[in-house]
Amino acid sequence: MPIGVGGSHGNRRPSGGEAGGAHAWLEGAETKEVAEQDCRPRPKSLPFGGLRFFFGRSVRRSRRHLEFLQTPGFPVNHEVSKEETWSRDNSTPRLFEPEIAPAGMGDRIWLSFPVLLLAALPPELLPGAAGFTPSLDSDFTFTLPAGQKECFYQPMPLKASLEIEYQVLDGAGLDVDFHLASPEGKTLVFEQRKSDGVHTVETEVGDYMFCFDNTFSTISEKVIFFELILDNMGEQAQEQEDWKKYITGTDMLDMKLEDILESINSIKSRLSKSGHIQTLLRAFEARDRNIQESNFDRVNFWSMVNLVVMVVVSAIQVYMLKGLFEDKRKSRT
Amino acid sequence: MAGVGAGPLRAMWQQALLLLALCTTGSRGLYFHIGETEKRCFIEEIPDETMVIGNYRTQMWDKQKEVFLPSTPGLGMHVEVKDPDGKVVLSRQYGSEGRFTFTSHTPGDHQICLHSNSTRMALFAGGKLRVHLGIQVGEHTNNYPEIAAKDKLTELQLRARQLLDQVEQIQKEQDYQRYREERFRLTSESTNQRVLWWSIAQTVILILTGIWQMRHLKSFFEAKKLV
Repeated sequence: MPIGVGGSHGNRRPSGGEAGGAHAWLEGAETKEVAEQDCRPRPKSLPFGGLRFFFGRSVRRSRRHLEFLQTPGFPVNHEVSKEETWSRDNSTPRLFEPEIAPAGMGDRIWLSFPVLLLAALPPELLPGAAGFTPSLDSDFTFTLPAGQKECFYQPMPLKASLEIEYQVLDGAGLDVDFHLASPEGKTLVFEQRKSDGVHTVETEVGDYMFCFDNTFSTISEKVIFFELILDNMGEQAQEQEDWKKYITGTDMLDMKLEDILESINSIKSRLSKSGHIQTLLRAFEARDRNIQESNFDRVNFWSMVNLVVMVVVSAIQVYMLKGLFEDKRKSRT
Repeated sequence: MAGVGAGPLRAMWQQALLLLALCTTGSRGLYFHIGETEKRCFIEEIPDETMVIGNYRTQMWDKQKEVFLPSTPGLGMHVEVKDPDGKVVLSRQYGSEGRFTFTSHTPGDHQICLHSNSTRMALFAGGKLRVHLGIQVGEHTNNYPEIAAKDKLTELQLRARQLLDQVEQIQKEQDYQRYREERFRLTSESTNQRVLWWSIAQTVILILTGIWQMRHLKSFFEAKKLV
């Protein structure tokens, strides 16, 4: 399927149009007040209410993440004209003000903390006319088999900052134990059965170890995404000078070169932040998608089981009753 | 990490290791330990036509000296990359230090698996191998000093080029996000449909079964002259 296909679905079926009456009957109590406040036309018919007990996962939790995404400026509606307006008008300033939450986010604003942390970082990093210091970061997604623990190590210099963010994307229960230890072996963070987390530490010299533990689960493997953001690593200034050697020629302009460079640096750091936010969104979306696909499988499976059980039970009932009466007649005569 | 040794000795070799890690190219990054036949897989969800460069460095554990050797000749790692459809994109053997590259042709979850193929490890390694890994995706793969030298760019031009690459990557990622969200929506709606129709069908079947039961039992009782 070509990538751009999502944009051409401008005429999305209105959610109320399909079998309206039956939908009203199904609409559980859980399509909360958020739906009215969102920009996006949410299909109201997702029956999270009555069926929540079927699903082992906390479906409600994944909805909270979706709410986080509904800050204005995110292109979550599919009408083509709206998207184009978005990209032309509202883009950059909105994208970097995720702290502004729509009314009604209320107590769920803590979800924007990872983004706030990211938002807080680059302003400190924007230097003067010299080079720019991008933060080093890496992210990995891996599968953690059932009953296993996997550890990663990150060497750090003194007085740098290590931020680690992890999310469980797939696997029944969507939780994992997390453990972060300093180079001396002291436990800095120990979380049990959490679905996601963010931690920042000011570092000493040495190898920091962090582990994901899935030993409490005997059958389900987890897909875990984690991201490491390292700042003030110290060798960056060295790198900037290194590649200055490779450029040729000079620029002759009216404006001072430093001013232009400064604005370019600012743009670059903001774009990096965009990229970071995208990674975050990608992880959220992947998790929601996995939840939905698992729901789909469960619905299919349990419907079949239900059908079979119903038929079998009714047959058993009838034949048992018949059997009871026939025995009584025999014993009487 | 625990149990390696105590106090100053531990701090010393950690410092040495850190210095070493900082000096060697591209390996001041994350590392992990891998057993002999163990396979470690990482998933990268990427849009199509995106280049991915991975580089790794391995160190073997020396049982006698209780230290990781700086470089290990003869130790190889097998790298296997699978695309979202399960087809193998890259399957190659590399030395103890290697760099692998691939470009995605379909958007989706690509799986990068590493495992050691060396049997020599069991002999004097105590079965532990330290692997330093770094994976760069998209515009992070561009080597700007090289591009600047090749195209003879001034600093301003180079920065503009970097920005353009960055924006292009973000845009590709956004397009892919739209595609994924559409699939997600289709699955949700399909689930919802099925829930709806199944509930209706269930009610109808229940009612019909109830009616059948009552009628059958009634005729049974009448036949047995109880009613």
